[in-house]
Amino acid sequence: MTITPFDPGLSAAPTPQPKAPNSWKRYFSFNTDAKVIGIQYIATALIFLLVGGLLAMIMRGELITPEADLVDRTVYNGLYTMHGTIMLFLFMFPVLNGLNNLLIPCMIGAPDMAFPRLNAAAFWLVPVFGVILMASFLVPGGPAASGWWSYPPVSLQNPLGFLINGEALWIVAVALSGVSSIMGAINFVTTILRMRAPGMTLFRMPIFCWTALSAQIIQLIGLPALTGGALMLLFDLVVGTSFYRPEGGGDPVLYQHFFWFYSHPAVYVIILPVFGVFSELFPVYARKPLFGYRFVAMASLVIVALSLVVWVHHMFPSGVPQWMRDLFMVTTMLIAVPTGIKVFAWLATLWGGKLRLNTPMLFALGGLFNFVFAGVTGIMLATVPVDIHVNNTYFVVGHFHYVIYGAATMGVYAAIYHWFPKFTGKMYYEGLGQLHFLLTFIGTNLNFFPMHPLGLMGMPRRVSSYDPEFAFWNVLASLGAFLLGVSIIPFLLNLVSSLVRGKQAPANPWNAIGLEWLLPSPPPAENFEENVPTVISGPYGYGSGLPLVEHQERYPRATDFLATGQA
Amino acid sequence: MTSTPSRPNLPAIAGLVFWIGLLVWFSFWMGQQSFGWLPVQASSAAPLVDGLFSFETAVATFVFAGVVSVMAWVMLFNRAAKYDISDAEPIEGNTKLEIIWTVIPLLLVMGIAYYTIDVNRQIGLIGPMDHVHGDRLASDQQPASGAAVAPQAEIEVIARQWSWEFRYPGAAVSATELHLPLDRRVGLQLRSEDVIHGFYVPAFRLKQQVIPGRSIAFFLTPTREGRYRLRDSEYSGTWFAANQVDVVVQSETDYQDWLRRASRLPLQPGLSDASREYALRQSRTRPSGYATVVPAPPPMVNVPGSNTLPHDG
Amino acid sequence: MTLTPASPDPLSGLDQNAGPTDGHASGHSSHANHSLTGFIIFLCSESIIFFAFFTGYAVLKLSSLNWLPPGVEGLEWRTPLAYTAVLVSSSGTIALAEWFLNRGNLWGFRAFWLLSMAMGTVFLYGQAVEWAGLSFGITSGSFGSCFYLLTGFHGLHVASGVLLMGLMLIRSFRAGNYEGGEQGVVAASLFWHFVDVIWVLLFLLLYAWPA
Ligand code: HEA
Ligand code: HEA
Ligand code: CUA
Ligand SMILES: [Cu+2]
Repeated sequence: MTITPFDPGLSAAPTPQPKAPNSWKRYFSFNTDAKVIGIQYIATALIFLLVGGLLAMIMRGELITPEADLVDRTVYNGLYTMHGTIMLFLFMFPVLNGLNNLLIPCMIGAPDMAFPRLNAAAFWLVPVFGVILMASFLVPGGPAASGWWSYPPVSLQNPLGFLINGEALWIVAVALSGVSSIMGAINFVTTILRMRAPGMTLFRMPIFCWTALSAQIIQLIGLPALTGGALMLLFDLVVGTSFYRPEGGGDPVLYQHFFWFYSHPAVYVIILPVFGVFSELFPVYARKPLFGYRFVAMASLVIVALSLVVWVHHMFPSGVPQWMRDLFMVTTMLIAVPTGIKVFAWLATLWGGKLRLNTPMLFALGGLFNFVFAGVTGIMLATVPVDIHVNNTYFVVGHFHYVIYGAATMGVYAAIYHWFPKFTGKMYYEGLGQLHFLLTFIGTNLNFFPMHPLGLMGMPRRVSSYDPEFAFWNVLASLGAFLLGVSIIPFLLNLVSSLVRGKQAPANPWNAIGLEWLLPSPPPAENFEENVPTVISGPYGYGSGLPLVEHQERYPRATDFLATGQA
Repeated sequence: MTSTPSRPNLPAIAGLVFWIGLLVWFSFWMGQQSFGWLPVQASSAAPLVDGLFSFETAVATFVFAGVVSVMAWVMLFNRAAKYDISDAEPIEGNTKLEIIWTVIPLLLVMGIAYYTIDVNRQIGLIGPMDHVHGDRLASDQQPASGAAVAPQAEIEVIARQWSWEFRYPGAAVSATELHLPLDRRVGLQLRSEDVIHGFYVPAFRLKQQVIPGRSIAFFLTPTREGRYRLRDSEYSGTWFAANQVDVVVQSETDYQDWLRRASRLPLQPGLSDASREYALRQSRTRPSGYATVVPAPPPMVNVPGSNTLPHDG
Repeated sequence: MTLTPASPDPLSGLDQNAGPTDGHASGHSSHANHSLTGFIIFLCSESIIFFAFFTGYAVLKLSSLNWLPPGVEGLEWRTPLAYTAVLVSSSGTIALAEWFLNRGNLWGFRAFWLLSMAMGTVFLYGQAVEWAGLSFGITSGSFGSCFYLLTGFHGLHVASGVLLMGLMLIRSFRAGNYEGGEQGVVAASLFWHFVDVIWVLLFLLLYAWPA
């Protein structure tokens, strides 16, 4: 492996800042720089988090009393459908793709993504289908209201009979989201496989890259199945075909298989990168190498394989035969094993470390707490008889919000705080960050814990009214939800004020190991440009004193920790 | 951890044993508590499901409390001192530990799976909840030998947007309130006339999607007298939330008595909150909300029942 | 820095321990071998849509009692078989075209490339004629829905393939463009083989699998 000779001293020189148009305008243009695209993704996603969250606030307002009184029932059904759709396709996937864009090239020492223009096109599809989805609030008949699963025949009922209706727009938006995600996935996979720095073998990659790779492989396998299924649904809806219509010989349960074949693995698309974030953060803030690096890396691939063969656990009560129930229960439970490997590896990383509880670390720890809680309720859901009882009740809603808000969104917050100095060049305010954490952690548990007793008592989900015996826990949940609404304020305040007047961030404020921390903050447009360092050791050499790259001494040093206000 | 100590570290082992003992005790206690979180047990399936759930609660508590106690420990005792920026001891891994924490979860989940498959089988014997076949199969194909002893379905359940109708063909009775005899295995034949609905009685711990185009036989054995809620459990459109009725479990004699009296009652519109609310909505000059599917007219039944009586679960 | 010629094994990054060593010249948006890697990944992903449709077809067919719409006895398979032969042999002609390109014989390449395009077009024509002559439509039950969806979706791919090949043909007239191999040609021909394989499966499912 020969590398082009260059003067390594060059890269140590304080950034020859590129002449890139450094103005805010580039964030509104078809920019092909992965770091610009990453920030575009994250900003767009956070806006949709507010929209999806606002809908959730109205839903929780409705549910604070047993009667359907705040909004009409049709409106409630539209609200939760759009809430689920927006949160998943316009918040969660975009925000994770934003992190991928920021982190992958920097972490592997690539100047950019493999296909920068494809990358920009994939991003710009997000606002396009976002607008399509939002427009469905305005069409006659209202937005889609058949849940984010869009099960036929309910989703095929089109009371007004118009060709352009909320459901059709919903399908188009989801299909475009799929196209965008596939474009992204091709890009990420190619970049990780082909553009690593010299010396960075697969087993010297940071875990985040492993988890991103795994998640994107799932996208590539799963999304086409959903797209195919959605296309058939669209045809049934607007052309009058009979793929799923029982009258014409179609099978509504067939759609359920298509939908869950993708949408189950999709939950691992969400959580795997968050596992990556945990694996990056715990070593930094515990000052110890990641325990069992290879096991943690390979566990991601095991999860990918298993995730493709568990989808029927969402369909236990839909009349699948007993042998199928048993089979899919066992595969589902097996996921606890690779996941457990990761959880225990993190605990072992923390054990005997020198923990520093700043905002990113708090979010990571809180996220781990919520994740394990969600994981054990997931195991309960996997067992058929218990699932039969709690399926389609609030127990399920509780399970997945614990993991999707409590673990995944908190993991995203952790990542945003941790890499904020790197990519904006500004430090965030620690106090506001910790306040954000405190409100989020309490709010999450207050909001989503009560859903478990509700589900066990038999309260169905997707209801705009409920029997009075469920009122007590619902009041608590709504209060928790409003607290979550409040928790967003310190977060936004922190982002905006530190961007405007935050302290200048050093290259490596956390004294962290990783190629991205060798770059100046913010990194120049092409990262290392031609002078890609040669990696000579594994990614988490805390305490071992091993240099990560050749000529490590020539890169900016971890600047003094104490000055950045850590304790 | 890195070097194997020559002498066993007695205090550490004692601590470990104490900690695990505490966890086991707590998990066991939580498992016992879990029965109280569920509705009353009103079918033969319920105790089986609850027993399984209790076991799972115990295992879940063990795992969760175990993880959280380690987290609490490190957050309390492994904090970096205020101005300490040094690294900790670089421990990269330990194959023995890795194997232990791969095998233990594997054993735990396989244990749960084993228990579950057993419960599945038992519930299947009492009343298969997946005894599903298409119309055509039912007519020309004898059920498998095990199911041959199964009684014919004696009650037809028809789900609509948004009402439930129960027909007792033997007694020429129809109702919008489900009456069931105590301690006898009854068969229900589930049908939907429009979209997928879900037949769900929390007190029975049983649930089944009702799929249009199929006719699904469903068996259960009620074991406790009382009045329970039957809830639509598969989202079915605008008035999904209001698609609930009561289930009344009564002794065999009371049940037969009810059938006899009911057959003499005249037909009248059954319960349908959806129709009532829809009429109200249409009566307003400017109906609020988005477009909706029009509810099916309330079925004509002998016994409408009530949606407002106190219920046991 | 000059770009290295296309590596013959576009996925070699998979088993290589070390990352690629080519430094990143200014125009790194044009790493040729990255494009081929990306394209292969895309094809794998695309095949899953077809796979989804195939399973849907099989499930609906297996669970249905009267699969064919009333009045339809079955599909006529002889003419479609002839068109199948045309499409499948176009995989051979396109391979020949590539062979000529590797020899540096541009005109041989263009001739066979054009021939493959023509064969694809003939196939599409045959498809259109068949559609026009059928007694059932896309709304005639599950069978009609599946038939038109599968053949239509595949037809779209054939048409895109022909367009893609046309683009490559035009590009071949740019001076010096194809010296040292052309990734676009490799990609287009891969796509074409893909479309052919899918059709063979489709033919087996639709025409050869008895009702
Ligand atoms: C990021 C999202 C995410 C993640 C990671 C998971 C993870 C898991 N989920 Fe969840 N799930 C959802 C999101 C997610 N889920 C969503 C959105 C839905 C509902 C969708 C809808 O209906 O709208 C859902 C619904 C859902 C159902 C369907 C319920 C129903 O509708 O009736 C089931 C059933 O099996 C299930 C199971 C599991 C399991 C077993 C895991 C496992 O992966 C968890 C594994 C983790 C652990 C077990 C903890 C750590 C492990 C250890 C510490 C080792 C030791 C552990 C043991 C021995 C138990 N989930
Ligand atoms: C990433 C995914 C994600 C996230 C983050 C959330 C976040 C939240 N969800 Fe969501 N939810 C889903 C995905 C998600 N949800 C899905 C998939 C469903 C299933 C849908 C279905 O059944 O089809 C669902 C369903 C669902 C239900 C069940 C509805 C029903 O079945 O009837 C409820 C009920 O409480 C709920 C509540 C909440 C709350 C309170 C939050 C909170 O965490 C939100 C916190 C809010 C904020 C952080 C923002 C606060 C905003 C403001 C204060 C307003 C400011 C706004 C402006 C200035 C514009 N959700
Ligand atoms: Cu650009 Cu490799
Ligand atoms: Cu799942």
